[in-house]
Amino acid sequence: MSVAGLTMAADVMELLTRRFSANSEPDGPPLVAPEHHLKLVRTLRDEFGYRIFGFVIASHHPATTTDAENLGHIRVVYGLRTVGVDTRLASWQLEVGVGNSVPSMVQLFAGADWQEREQYDLVGIRFEGHPDLRRLMLPEDWKGYPLRKDYAIDTEVAPWR
Amino acid sequence: MEVEVASSAGSASREIPANQHPLSNCPTAKTRRGDPYLDIAAYDPEADLMVLNLGPQHPSTHGVFRLKLYLDGEMIVKAVPFCGYLHRGVEKLCEKLTYVQLVPIFDKNDYVSPMMNEQSLVMAFESLLGVEVPRRARYLRTLLAELQRIASHLLWFGAFAMDLGGALGGGSTLFMYCFRERELILDVFEELTGCRFHYNTHMIGGNRHDIPTGWAAKVHSAIDIIERRLIEYESYLTTNRIYLDRTRGVGVVDADLAMELGITGPILRAAGIDHDLRRDAPYHAYDELEVRVTTATAGDCEARTQIRLAEIRESIRLVRLMIDGIPEGPLGSRKPIKSNLAEKSDRGQAYAAVESPRGELGIYVMGGGANRGASPYRLKIRSPSLHALSCLPYVLPGHVVSDAVAILGSVDPIMGEVDR
Repeated sequence: MSVAGLTMAADVMELLTRRFSANSEPDGPPLVAPEHHLKLVRTLRDEFGYRIFGFVIASHHPATTTDAENLGHIRVVYGLRTVGVDTRLASWQLEVGVGNSVPSMVQLFAGADWQEREQYDLVGIRFEGHPDLRRLMLPEDWKGYPLRKDYAIDTEVAPWR
Repeated sequence: MEVEVASSAGSASREIPANQHPLSNCPTAKTRRGDPYLDIAAYDPEADLMVLNLGPQHPSTHGVFRLKLYLDGEMIVKAVPFCGYLHRGVEKLCEKLTYVQLVPIFDKNDYVSPMMNEQSLVMAFESLLGVEVPRRARYLRTLLAELQRIASHLLWFGAFAMDLGGALGGGSTLFMYCFRERELILDVFEELTGCRFHYNTHMIGGNRHDIPTGWAAKVHSAIDIIERRLIEYESYLTTNRIYLDRTRGVGVVDADLAMELGITGPILRAAGIDHDLRRDAPYHAYDELEVRVTTATAGDCEARTQIRLAEIRESIRLVRLMIDGIPEGPLGSRKPIKSNLAEKSDRGQAYAAVESPRGELGIYVMGGGANRGASPYRLKIRSPSLHALSCLPYVLPGHVVSDAVAILGSVDPIMGEVDR
């Protein structure tokens, strides 16, 4: 498995690879095309019993080339959990270029609201269809996205008032 | 007055239906789910709505947290929470510091249960780096986790009594009592680790501090005192008429809402879902223990209190089971790791979750690979308090302002963990 400590059930792996043609990744959970995302969430919730909302994690991967136009891409890892005895996590990831958006899953899991807002705030990925996409942690007028790799950790920031 | 207290299994036998309660101010609205995206302009043009800012420095907010309440009379129409006042950029810091430097920083996230934070972090690192933990260290971690759960829930119990109004439990008396009993656990921790609070006792691959001589006897006496006094403290609140009026049927988080929001821990169990990572996805030494999970059905503030009190008793039982039988052996799988993890490759990703007193505390870590030295590439903390707080816009509408304080207290948010 590609994520240590997160062993997915065999039926979910089969669902991901067969029905949603996910690509297995050397590092990280299987990669799913963004257009399959919402259907996958609905299938996992309604047919497989993954009813507890897990997490949304975006990470920035800068471009390896020196092309100034290319700002790299953003990967978003999702997790959902089953209820009760022998609880399992299902996890997958999406990949989009910086500046593009991924579909929001707020309509299916209300808990995604704050999680997607947090990732928008810190990593700067837009979630298409989110009803209230504001910054969650930082002030509304904050410039930049701190968890981007090109946001230096030692940038001097004036005190916020 | 005689009031039948619902058993910890949560049968919630009610003498008076919640919606006909004589002291209830908004009889019908209590179980209705609020709309977080309600358009205030379209709500009722005739209504004279008032906007009330609860916080960010209100004593009942357990930290720095702001709630913007739209009030129709005294009834809450819409609640908009604002967090981030304690945002310290821990996740960005994780990308700069080495793996071993991160453990003491994570003590400061959930400052009421630092042990769980350390444990979730080192568990994630251990599975990322492929480090084995010896059995003695796994047992000691389980023991520390259960002691920490007692301390955390005790502090919550005292603070909740304060939230409900100073008169309950005799002014701040119950709060101070609970604080005093929590101090017994902190003394035990201090003897083991040298610190009352920010322990830094977990390492990647084991624990740093071995059990001193005579420690087990001190743990025994501490939990004996707590168990005895807890019965008394419980009776201050749980049979009190004012307490029951303020908590029964107030702030119902139903099971569907809790799961949809990703709420775990006591709030989910109070809503009737039998889910506990200690039993369902065992880590540490929990696979060798039988954890009895308590659930309730009502999902209100009273049920959440009962669940947390039952968890204190269950933790006391588990500590008694473990304290005399900690297996012998090494406490770390190798010499303490002090420098960069040069010998281990941190390629790949890992997720580890523990059942903290507030729910599933997960760490998702993406390894940096060889070219970035020994810092994580990206680290995400799945904080249970943030998920728990996100229930407020759904639960608060329909309640009165004083109920908002009770509900906020019963959710047990730790803002250091919410904002990170």
